Amino acid sequence: MKKISLLLLLFLIGNYCFSQKMITRTGKITFEASMPSFEEIKATNNSASCILDESTGDFVALVLIKSFKFKAPLMEEHFNENYMESNTFPKATFKGKIQNFDAKKLSATKSTYDLQGDLTIHGVTKKINTKINLVLNSGKITATSNFDIHPQDYNIEIPNLVKDKIAKNVNTIINFILEPQ
Amino acid sequence: MKIHKIIICTLFLFSLQTAMAQDDLLGQLDTKPVKKEAVTATFKALQIANLQSTKLPAKGEFYLLISHRFGDLTEGLQNFFGLDNANTKIGGIYGIADWLSVGLSRHTFQKNYETALKYRLANQLEGGFPVTIVGYNTFDVNTELSKDDYPSLQFSNRLAYSAQLLISRKMSESLSLELAPIFTHKNLYNNVSENANLMLLGFGGRYKLSKRLSLNLEYDTRLNAKEDNPYQNPITLGLDIETGGHIFQLVFSNSQAMNDVTVFNNSTGNGSKGIFFGFNMYRVF
Repeated sequence: MKKISLLLLLFLIGNYCFSQKMITRTGKITFEASMPSFEEIKATNNSASCILDESTGDFVALVLIKSFKFKAPLMEEHFNENYMESNTFPKATFKGKIQNFDAKKLSATKSTYDLQGDLTIHGVTKKINTKINLVLNSGKITATSNFDIHPQDYNIEIPNLVKDKIAKNVNTIINFILEPQ
Repeated sequence: MKIHKIIICTLFLFSLQTAMAQDDLLGQLDTKPVKKEAVTATFKALQIANLQSTKLPAKGEFYLLISHRFGDLTEGLQNFFGLDNANTKIGGIYGIADWLSVGLSRHTFQKNYETALKYRLANQLEGGFPVTIVGYNTFDVNTELSKDDYPSLQFSNRLAYSAQLLISRKMSESLSLELAPIFTHKNLYNNVSENANLMLLGFGGRYKLSKRLSLNLEYDTRLNAKEDNPYQNPITLGLDIETGGHIFQLVFSNSQAMNDVTVFNNSTGNGSKGIFFGFNMYRVF
């Protein structure tokens, strides 16, 4: 018993000490909620941060809502004031795990994994399931993913007057280039 | 045996560590931003109602402005509740930089052309500087005066100016307040009832009734008005309705004119007579 626990302990310590974390603070997130023949609704954020723990596959990300930039300044103001209520809910977070992740299998060719976790937007947390593509290139991991977000799932209210101008499915694209910490 | 216990304890702690790992990772990312953010959306529109707010167009934005003030509501059916004699202001405001804008408008009243310059001197910051400070200057040309009526009329007689310092604070998500020391100068004035120079202290505020509706009120006290003058301190009540690219402001004012110098000097409504209903409509390009 003593031996086993000692071994386990050593294993855990080893795991803990050698766990390699990959990080970015300049991740790119773009979303688009445009409807055909209406004004373009599109914003990009270039300061998303993300950590991937290579030993466990834990994948977390954080983004400040106010850093989403639109073409039209007024749209950006309304996005923050009326839709996202960024003063009350300043950030969106993701906390999850890349399923069956194995750092040794990463290569310069794209490999696709399942990504599961909790996405929190506008103070509401929802479980999401999506695919994530990983590419290893000169020590950096490029992680990309593409999924839809439904504003009503996160209690983001869209008034009747503009209902036809805003897409029900907001297409979201992430592109993170993770470097060793 | 003692060592065993310590090991078990440590193991337990480590297992907790793993469970908390994702929260820990998130914690590592969650650092406070170093830069203090400017407070935005203190007011929905460029005006509170008649008085300017501390909002400026963003760089490159163009605002088209159409405003109406109908005739005196209190005359009732006589002028169909004011619909008979409306005043119009039509103009545009352009953002040269995020902190600087220029405006030009044409008013029915006195066939007035009003040019305006608006510039932000300081911005309220979250957890930082407490107020937004904006300077606003207007320059009026009265083109209704004619040489036929006044043979010795000179161009300078047509001119009037205002200089305003607008100081606002967003007190909460719904409440914003503004204080405005104002100075106006008229080259041509009635020396019985008016001064060439008038000083005022303006107060304004907005309260958001919902995300897209706000109730606005403004009042200016004239500090050196002549005794026994027929004019009143300007007061205006407004309701902002915001719909995407448009902002509608419904207003009730005691001034029918809309150029700042006249609003500040020559508001006539005294409560029982002289209530002017109208609207400002902004379209943003």
